[in-house]
Formats: sequence, structure tokens, C-alpha cells
Amino acid sequence: MEKLEKEINYKALGFACGLEVHQRLLTHEKLFCSCSAQLSDEERGDHHIMRMQRAVAGELGEIDRAAKFEEEKRRVFRYNIIDRNTCLVEIDEEPPHPLNMEALEISLAIAKALDLKLVDELQPMRKGVVDGSNPSAFQRTIMLGSDGHVKLGSRSVPISMMSLEEESAGIEEKKEGETIYNTDRIGIPLVEIDTDASISSPLEAKNLALRIGTILRLTGKVQRGIGSIRQDVNVSIKDGARVEIKGVQELDRMDLLIENEVRRQAKLIEIAKALRLTHASVGEPVDVTALLKDTKVRVIQNQLKNNGIAMAFAMHKFKGVVGTELQPDRRLGSEISDYAKMYGVSGIIHSDEDLSAYGFSEKEILAIRSRLSIGEDDAFAILSGKAESIAMAAESAVKRARQAIEGVPLETRSVLDAEKGTTRFLRPLPGGSRMYPETDLYPVEISEKMLKTAAENAPDFEREMSTLGKQVGKENAEALALSPRLPLYKFITRSISNADYRFVSNTLLQKFTELKRSGFDVDSIGDEKVLQAFKEYANNHITKQGVEELVKELARNPHAEVSALIKSKGIERIEGKKLEDKVRKLLSGSHVSSSKDAVSLVMSKMRLNVDGNELNELLKKLLDGA
Amino acid sequence: MYSNEVEELLKSLGVKVGDVIRFSSGKINGEGELMPRSEAGNPSILVIKLKNGYNIGIKATGAKIEKVGSGESNTASFPTSTLKQNLGLPKVTLIYTGGTIGSKIDYKTGGVYMLLKPEELFYEVPEISGIANISVVNLMSIASEDMSPIEWSSMSTAVVKAFEAGSRGIVITHGTDTMHYTSAALSFMLKGINGPVVLTGAQRSSDRGSSDAFTNLVAATAIAARSNIAEVGICMHGSPSDDQYLFLRGTKIRKMHTSRRDAFRPINDLPLASVNLDSEMKINYKKSDYRTISEKPDKLEVLPKFDSKVAILKAYPGSDPEIVEHYIEKGYHGIIVEGTGLGHTPVSISHEGMSWLPHLKKATEKGIVVGMTSQCVYGRVNPSVYRNLRLLSGAGVIYCEDMNVETAYVKLGWLLANFGKEKAKELLNVNMVGEIKSRSMFSEFLA
Repeated sequence: MEKLEKEINYKALGFACGLEVHQRLLTHEKLFCSCSAQLSDEERGDHHIMRMQRAVAGELGEIDRAAKFEEEKRRVFRYNIIDRNTCLVEIDEEPPHPLNMEALEISLAIAKALDLKLVDELQPMRKGVVDGSNPSAFQRTIMLGSDGHVKLGSRSVPISMMSLEEESAGIEEKKEGETIYNTDRIGIPLVEIDTDASISSPLEAKNLALRIGTILRLTGKVQRGIGSIRQDVNVSIKDGARVEIKGVQELDRMDLLIENEVRRQAKLIEIAKALRLTHASVGEPVDVTALLKDTKVRVIQNQLKNNGIAMAFAMHKFKGVVGTELQPDRRLGSEISDYAKMYGVSGIIHSDEDLSAYGFSEKEILAIRSRLSIGEDDAFAILSGKAESIAMAAESAVKRARQAIEGVPLETRSVLDAEKGTTRFLRPLPGGSRMYPETDLYPVEISEKMLKTAAENAPDFEREMSTLGKQVGKENAEALALSPRLPLYKFITRSISNADYRFVSNTLLQKFTELKRSGFDVDSIGDEKVLQAFKEYANNHITKQGVEELVKELARNPHAEVSALIKSKGIERIEGKKLEDKVRKLLSGSHVSSSKDAVSLVMSKMRLNVDGNELNELLKKLLDGA
Repeated sequence: MYSNEVEELLKSLGVKVGDVIRFSSGKINGEGELMPRSEAGNPSILVIKLKNGYNIGIKATGAKIEKVGSGESNTASFPTSTLKQNLGLPKVTLIYTGGTIGSKIDYKTGGVYMLLKPEELFYEVPEISGIANISVVNLMSIASEDMSPIEWSSMSTAVVKAFEAGSRGIVITHGTDTMHYTSAALSFMLKGINGPVVLTGAQRSSDRGSSDAFTNLVAATAIAARSNIAEVGICMHGSPSDDQYLFLRGTKIRKMHTSRRDAFRPINDLPLASVNLDSEMKINYKKSDYRTISEKPDKLEVLPKFDSKVAILKAYPGSDPEIVEHYIEKGYHGIIVEGTGLGHTPVSISHEGMSWLPHLKKATEKGIVVGMTSQCVYGRVNPSVYRNLRLLSGAGVIYCEDMNVETAYVKLGWLLANFGKEKAKELLNVNMVGEIKSRSMFSEFLA
């Protein structure tokens, strides 16, 4: 289906698309407590707790459908409590401390850069989340303003809303009926920026995401590293439904993901039309364990051996439809399967597949067909699992099959394969009843002084890009703008008065990327340490090669002292008289004639310690004078 | 509440809380529902709920406001569960006294809606329907910090009534701050109970999915329906995890943390029992020295009187003992001193007038019952180790063994009201309902 029949006419399809960009802020402390907001990936849980959560009726008396859905799954949540980044606040054992004003200052500067209209008083809210990712079962979130815009070429894309909120817990492991989270990430300040739904094409969505990312990084106050920026994309077409693709990290593939979602919805609409024409229907699940007691189908066999149950349901007039491809390698059958999988079964087997390849016997298939009263144009699905969860799983699969007759279900989906641009069902799209006031916190008035500071700190895209261009050239400036290390670049060049802009930029862009490819985790080095390395260079204590060597060492050992490393690794710069003495000594014991040979000779002995320019100057003097 | 000026402004525009308004603050425009102003925040700022669910605040002065819709009258009733009572299960009465457990908050009005019908309760806490045949009594709705001996008395009367109506066990929901005072009071006031009386509460409000209210209530109901302990106690989380719940004796317990779920710890004691909220919900008994449900129960009685003229005084470096004179003058009948260490107060002679000795002596001579406990919380007071202790003891101060200060206070008020001064002196440091243990065990410290 890759580059399908023809180019899609998005306008004609009624394409609507909006982005939600989530960016972690670079603050010292978390949003509502004094824990460090800096993550360190070598942490292990110091303590462990177990929690359960339940859907509670929201502000409007009704239980949110997403919340209820999570509860139906009756998951147990385990938390690895990491002392370095966790106090009682994150694990919902102590009320929140007052709002982190550093985070507010950064987010107000971003709001200004996006030209948002701001509220006068911030009202902290609780957004209900019962998937365990917040031990409190809600996320604290504060709306800052609305009606902003981002300039993108000739277009001005409206920003509908921006909020400041707390980061959730990172998943360590997910297994049947149980999710294990780490607590270190909880509560890191995060801004959410929502565009309106006027994005006109997948490519525009991608470019907009890149632009918002650059504006955020230009503040110099956002975190870098995996997961520090995430995009959710909302997509719908006419007669389709709003689908949220959550947590898109690879911006390169965002356009493909959106394009594939459009194709998926178009296909689902087509299927629904056809199914309605033929008066298609989906039957109730029935127990077929007895019919399969001697089956050779491995998955079912294993379940039945452990007192499991097999169920099947009929999909009348669905023949050929279940196997319809909706996205590359993703069929309607895969979607139905995803709904069943939410309840701990391994998936479904359906009659548009080659059943004999699974090991079904002719007799078994006939028995099931007869039990379900399957006709020529009908399809069926079989699933097996534990006695306690199979009924819910089957019901869920039936529900999804029935939705195929209606059209496109409202869903939150996650990226399945970024390369192929495919997604899978995550949970139903949350309703609107998830928000109520956070009564443990005071509202915060935005003062005139805060607004003034925000205006001063707000990055102006055009101006910043022109400054960067002057520093490192247009091409590098553009590369920097798209790099997560832009804030680090700004931090370093602001902190060193005589910074060598191009050297810093080249190191962060090319060298860091090369080192990362060779297995050095350069992004785990703290900003302060990287700064120190460049300071040592600016003060002539190490050479350019020395900086690279130092970075390698720091990636191996992020907590090491920079000055100590320089000593222990012997990478101090040798210069001036000392260098001259050493070079004279080297040359005197050799027979080099050309300056090129001389450079090679010296560099072979002191590559990390000698500055190339100084050496050239020196050799010129020594060789010419000789 | 909004400021008077804002109220006036709203009135002139014909806008009430709950109405949908269109607004323009000069900075931000939009449409939303006008929310009530909580006590927190600037009263001249309007709080508006937008369609996206967020509340925002905008300055009322200078803002353009226009009413575009009237607030709907709030008739939202609570959804009910289809789960029905199983009349074959043990009968348990659930008595509400306050706190957020067993209630729903209406975020619009700030009002509290009590889940009175079992079907409403089952909607929130479906597990209960499989444990007990529940009847609900909405006795009062009083914040924990506002509880007084008057409420203790009416609770004890309600418990007796529920037992007489055939309940096997009682669950009382209670705000957590002073729950251990109430549990001590009920332990003394109720005589001859033949089933568990289980207090429970929540450290996290029940509006959130992570609230401990739900599971605490389930565990408390399990104890009330299944345990054979005929005593008053508190059932709450045993740890910050949602797996193990402890049932602790009402007189040997204290809230030891401001916010953690496992704030209630046994003091100089071990838990009576624990229960795990797995499918079995088995009661694990941790000790054997408790009253059990009897085939031939004692006569059920309530001794609800309480003498409020009892004070708790804390002795600390620099504390001025003149304070004792105040209580003497005001005609107090009892004082519980929260002494240092083994039961000290300053008795020094180096600082003129700072010794508590003459004042406490005067108090006892005036007939005031003075009891000594320790601010160490853990351990037993002892009147004979140091000379100063012997001096205090000699002055008529009664050393209250291993009773914690809150229990000693409750006991003294109850003794004075029901038995009079002389009997109170005699019984204050004698075990009556498990509040004093003669042996201090190794594993009880920080249990």
C-alpha cells in the first residue's frame, strides 16, 4: 500500500489535524516538590510499592469512558521508588508543594514566543488518569492561555491552548495484569502546546512540529534526551472520527503516520458502507472449548491445558472484510485483535486467515461454523485465554467488530512501527469529564513583573536564527535549530565569553552524533560537565582533540570531575616553551625533512595535547630557521 | 466567595454562578461557565470553566462579560450499581460521621453528597456487596478536627443501637486527624460489645482514583463481617501499598504521619489482625490477648458521659508551670502531663519559679487528678528511676504506664464523668480495656 494509487487530496477528504506538543522543561526542581528534575538513567528502585486505582465519577457525575476502561482491566501498578528523584509527593503520600516558579517563568516565556493570550490567574486542575502513570490517578495541569500562533512560511497556524503540567511515570515493564513504573520522572515540569485542527497536510504537520520544537529549544530552557519532547497528533477525515496518535517521537515519520491514518480511516469508512449495504452483523461470543478439546492449534492447546477457555463469535457478511488491509501489514482483523489483547489474551484467529496453517482440522472448522451458524458470506473469530478474562476479551473484540459497521471508532492509538508508519489501538479516546480543580494548591496570579520577564525571555524565531547564522553560518544554524542540543549550545556559548561558536556547534552536532553512533552515551552527560570541557578549551588547558577525548570519558563516567579526568587521562594541552622543548627533542632524534612529516611525528606522540595551529606555527619557525 | 464589588458587578449583569458567560479580559477572550470562588485566591478574579475542562482566572474589573446561557439546575443524582444486597451475608452497619470516605463531592457547588443507599455505595465500592449485608446510618458530618466528646457519646449510642438491631459488626467512617481519640473514647464508653467496631478513614480524598478510601472501607468491612474480635479498633493501610490492611486496638494507636496512607501505627502494641484484599480476604490474627465474640455475650451497655474539664499539658525546656495555676483557677478536674523521657517535668531549683513541682503538688492537693505520660510516644513512664521522678510521684502525680497521652486524656475524662474523682485516681493506671499492657515487647517499637 506504500505509495498508493494516487496522491491524496486532503482538502477533499475533509482532513482535519492538530498537534499536541509536550516538552519537558529544564528546571532545577520538579513542578510541585523539591526533588531534582534531572533524570539519571542508572537509577534502580530503592523501595517498591503496589497500588490499585479505580475510576471515580468525575465532576459531572459520570465516569469517563477511558477511565472506566482502565479500571475494567483491573491492573495492579507497581512503582520502583527512586530516592534520588522521589519524595512522598510523587507517590501521592504528601500534598503538592507550591508551584515551581522557575517552571512558570520558562513556560510564560514560551507562551509569549507563541503570542498566547494569557489568563490573569492560574487555576491548577486535576486531569483524571487511571492507567497508573500517575500514582495520584490524576495529572496536575494548569492552562496558561489561548489564541496564540506560530508562523510557518506564509501561514500563521493558530495555537489553541498551552498548559503547564507534571510529567507522568515512565514504564519499566508491562506484563499481564500488572504494570511496573519508575517514579523518577513523575512531576518534571512539562508544557503542552496544542495547535488548532487547521493543519492542511501531513507534511505541514511535520514542519509545524519541527518549528514548535525549535522555538522551545531557543528558550535554552528545555530538556534534551529521549522522550523529553513528544507529539500527539489528532487526525480525522469527513465521516471518520478523531483519532489521537500518542507519543510520536520520530518526527521524520510523522507525515507517513498521518498519511497512513488517513488511509486507514478512508478504508474503514468504505468497509462500513459496504457492511451496512449487506446488513452485516456480529453475533455474541460462545464457548467453543468442547469443540477444540483435541486441537492441534498450539496457542489454544496451551490455554486449554491450563483450564483456559476458547470462545468464538460470528461476523455475518464479513467474509473477506476481516482480512482487508487498513495500513501496511495491518488488517481489520489486527484491530479486532488489539481490542481483545487489552484483556490479556494473545489475540484472535479469524476465518479470513489460513486456518489450516494454524493447525485447525477440517472437522474443527466445520464444528465451529455449525455452532455459530456461519453462512457462505460470513466470517468468524476464535480466541482463547484464562477463564477469568476471556469473556471480557471476547466482548471487547465483538464490540470492535460491530464498530466496523458504524465506521471509525474514536481512539487513542500508539505508534506500532515508526518505519512503516503504522499504529495500534491503545485505549478509547478520553471524554471531556476528566478535569476538576486541584484543591490542594492555591491559584497563582500572573503579575506584571512576571509578564515583563516573560517578554524579555521570549525567543523571537527570526532574530534568534539570524544571530545563530552570524555565529555558525546559515547551514549550521538550521541544523542547530533542529537539534535537541540547541539549548546546550546556547548554554555553553552564553557562559563562555570568548566561545568558539563554530567549534561548539560542530562538536555538539557532528562529534556528539558520531560518538553516539559509536556507542558513547553523550546525552547522559550533564550540561555543566559539557560546559566545563569547553571552558577548559577556552582557557587553553586542553585542545580540540582533548575536548573530544574528555567527552568520551565523561560519557563513560558522567559523575567524574573534569579537571581530575584531564589529569588522569594525560590530556593537558602542551604549549609555548614546553611544547617547543618537546618538539625540538623529538625532531633532533629523527630525520624528518618536510613539515608534514614533522607534524605526523609530533602528532603521533602528542595528538591529544597539541594544538594544530600552534604546532604549525612552531614548525614553520623551527624548520625555516634550521 | 467573590468580593462585594464583583458580586455587585455580576448582579448588575444578571449573571450568577453556573451561568455560561462570554468574556474578554483585554488579554484573553472566550466562553465558559462561571464557577464559585473558593476561599483560596484573589476574590476579585472570576473563575471560569472553559469547554476544554480547564478553569482559568480573569480579572473582573475591566473585563467585558456577557451572559449567554443560564446554569442548569444541578439535579445530578449519583449513579447506582446493579449489584444487590446479599441478605445471606453477615449484617454490618456503616455509620458515617464525616471525612470524605463514603461521600462524593459536587465540584460545582462544593457540596458533599453522601452515598446513603447501598446501591450507590456499591457503585463506588462494588467489593463490599460480596462481603456484607450493609445498612447505612448517616449519623453526622463533622470534620475530624471538630470532633468533641459530645460526638463520641452519640457515636457510642449509635453503635449500641446498631448492635441491638442485629448487626454483627460496625464500621464507622471518620476523618483521620482525631480518629485515635475517638477509638479510645469508644473503647471505654462501650461495654459488653459482642462484635468488631471498626473505624476507618482516608488519607487521600475519595475524588481521586488513587484514594485509600475505597480499599480501607473494604478492609474495614471485611474485619467487621468476618473477624471474631469484639473490640473497638481502627483499620487502615498497613503500608503505602494497597495490599495489606491492619486492624489496630482503639486505645493503643496514634496517627504518626500527617499524610501517608499508613499513618496509623500501633503504640506499645502490635496489630490485632491484618487482612489482605485478595480474593480470599482472610483475617490474619496477630495476637491472642483480645476479647472474642462470645456465644453468651455480656450485657451491652454504654457509658457515654465525659468530663471536659480535663487538660493536656506539655512539659518542655523553658515551659512556665504557672499554666497549671490557670487550670486550678478554672476549676479543672484532671490534667494529663505529657512529660519528657520517663515522665519528667522541670523540677530544677536553679531557676526561680520554673519548677513544676509546687504547682502540680498544689493541683493534686486541690483534688485535681494529675496523670503523667511521655512525649517519647513509645515506652513506659516510670516514677522511681530518678530523684526528680520520685518527687513528682510523691506529689501525687499518677504515672500512666505505657498509655499514650491521647488515650490517657480520654480515659481520665471518661473516668471522672462516670465514676468520680476517687475512682478515677484509682483506675487511671490500671488496665481496663487493653489500654495498659504490663509487658513491653521488643517488636512493638516503631511497629
